[in-house]
Amino acid sequence: MIPKATVSLFSPNIFLNASKLSAHGAPSPQTRRNLRVSHCLAAKVPPPKKPREKVEIPGLEMVTYGDRMHYVPGLAKPVYPPWEMSFKDPRYYRSPPAQEMTLYKDKPCYVFNQRTSILEGVRQAAWLTKTQVNPGLLPHLISLAANPENQLPDQDERVQNAIKHARFWDTTEPRPRKEKYSNTLLLNLLHLCASLQPTHPAVGRRILAENYSLAATWKRGEDLFQIRGQNGLLHCSMDPLPQICGEQEVLETSDRVLESFYPVSPTIDLQQVSVYKEEMNYTGFRGEYPYPHAHTLYFLETSDPNCQLRPEQFRAKMIMFTFGNALARAHKLYGTQPHSLLECPITVQAVGTNGRIFQFLVFQLNTTDLSGDDGIKNQAWLDEDVELYDFAKVRPFIKRKEVKVPAGLAGYKPETFSKFLALYLHGAA
Amino acid sequence: MALSCLTRALRSLTLSKPALLSSQAPVAQLKLGTLVSSTISQCRGFLTTASLKQNRTYWKQRDKYTTRPMGMKKTGGRDHTGRIRTRGIGGGHKQKYRWVDFQRLRYEPNKEGQPFEEKVVEVRYDPCRSADIALIAGGNRKRWIIATEKMQAGDIIKTSGVIGRMAVSANEGDAYPLGALPVGTLVNNLEVQPGKGSQYIRAAGTSGVLLRKVNGTAIVQLPSKQQVQVSETCIVTVGRVSNIDHNKRIIGKAGRNRWLGIRPSSGLWKRKGGWAGRKIKPLPPMKSFINLPLISTI
Repeated sequence: MIPKATVSLFSPNIFLNASKLSAHGAPSPQTRRNLRVSHCLAAKVPPPKKPREKVEIPGLEMVTYGDRMHYVPGLAKPVYPPWEMSFKDPRYYRSPPAQEMTLYKDKPCYVFNQRTSILEGVRQAAWLTKTQVNPGLLPHLISLAANPENQLPDQDERVQNAIKHARFWDTTEPRPRKEKYSNTLLLNLLHLCASLQPTHPAVGRRILAENYSLAATWKRGEDLFQIRGQNGLLHCSMDPLPQICGEQEVLETSDRVLESFYPVSPTIDLQQVSVYKEEMNYTGFRGEYPYPHAHTLYFLETSDPNCQLRPEQFRAKMIMFTFGNALARAHKLYGTQPHSLLECPITVQAVGTNGRIFQFLVFQLNTTDLSGDDGIKNQAWLDEDVELYDFAKVRPFIKRKEVKVPAGLAGYKPETFSKFLALYLHGAA
Repeated sequence: MALSCLTRALRSLTLSKPALLSSQAPVAQLKLGTLVSSTISQCRGFLTTASLKQNRTYWKQRDKYTTRPMGMKKTGGRDHTGRIRTRGIGGGHKQKYRWVDFQRLRYEPNKEGQPFEEKVVEVRYDPCRSADIALIAGGNRKRWIIATEKMQAGDIIKTSGVIGRMAVSANEGDAYPLGALPVGTLVNNLEVQPGKGSQYIRAAGTSGVLLRKVNGTAIVQLPSKQQVQVSETCIVTVGRVSNIDHNKRIIGKAGRNRWLGIRPSSGLWKRKGGWAGRKIKPLPPMKSFINLPLISTI
């Protein structure tokens, strides 16, 4: 087939023997290449060839065609040492094998990053961070937003306008994509909350930081764990958040038992790395940064299809990164030696959203002694799957000629925004 | 790449003598003149090695096990030379391959020799086989296996390589050596050589029966009623393979077979042969996968 095809394409006098030629003039047993198509015609891979045995006879010099500079039948192929560049070219840099790197350690380190999807979700995150997870937010935190002083004027209407802006009015396209409207909605809500600054001057002592990179190291049992990566929008402030619950409740956590998930190891799905820095703790900001205290982390669902997380894994990521921020801060304040009870627990909050459903998390780091399963544990309060509204439809949803859901915003729930506002005002009101 | 290859090929052809026909040779030499003699020694011929490699599908040749689905390229029944090896394959919906670990008794590193348990995370459809597959997680790893009939997400299944004095009472989905199981157990995923990985009884809804155990070997009846004799250290899974209603599904129309990647047969009328009638034949003799020592060596 191949000679015929080439003949039809090119002039016949040249290409009649084209199929007999192959690489370096030697007949090769590989697939014949059809030059009319850009790929090979067989999708299957040939079975691996047996390497030919090379006979080395001591004292006998092999006659090669190396000095002639072209292939000669009957002469052996010359073997040259691999060429090494005398100059440095970063495009062709090859890293040495991991064992020869200076940071290589025999003991692997388990790394959690923003793309990690841990199998057991919140349970696993709770085990890794030695945390006791309580459902729901604390009532005294929610009551912050119930106070009319702390509310916005025309709060419900303005929030609904913020949602409509994100879902309908933000773009000239028929409907914005999820990654666009979730981001817009979050920034709109933050903007609304920030308009409380005249009555709450402490709100002005905060700043938003994006793309900060976090590193925190801790030991759990025998294994070493690290949190690395860039994640979330960080709201950091000049003043630390007050601790959420009293010392009595902190001491009570030592009686609680962490949930286990027996056949599965807690280190499943974490990346095992053998080249790493020990004692790596970094909050993402230099020492003299005026806003050193992490206040709230805002998480959005990623749009990258390769690392999309299911809700349970998303909540686990929120716990892990909130813990990582608190731990890095604690290591900076109190040193990396494990303290069984921190004098002043570190509180960090987190809010995750996909543009409709919100997850609220308050984390309190009580201890940095995470090796054993007993003793004082950290605490987290997690409010799962809170909806801000039911539907925001650009076009009505019609089924059997009946309008099931009308176009526009439907089912707005004001208590979700009041939770958001409460977390925002925590530490300022 | 293809273009540079083509130009290089053309250049080599115009310069090398044996590529020309004898009648055309003087014309070509007239055109090229004295250039031929000076450049012919430095010509390197076809360099097709890079372009042959660039579209090869090495999707299955991986070093490290992964549970991620891999994109497949359709072969259309062609082998590596491009010739049709299997008739009647082509087209169909795009499918992804999930790497099934057929060696059930694969210990985790540093934990050899002890029985282990795993949790079923998910049971799902697999486009590449008739049975369903299950994602199981245990220790520090996850893997796909062939699901058994009653396997559900959240189940704990056990894998053991120990042959005790007493026969174990095995739950469905557990994997044991044949020697550890009681006679009459329904089994699937049969290994024929210890440690090679299961090869038999993997299709949807099938199961074999452990008939008897004879000094270090076990005799299993396959779904085809043929009996095989294998070593008693071969690992099997207890129970019946999932998707038991696979043979009851209705294809419905010719086009659905095309969705599955099956092409119609030729349509040429062929006289029925001897296969068409019913004939009761004796069972084939038992097949033995045991390397018995030769008589001469004893």
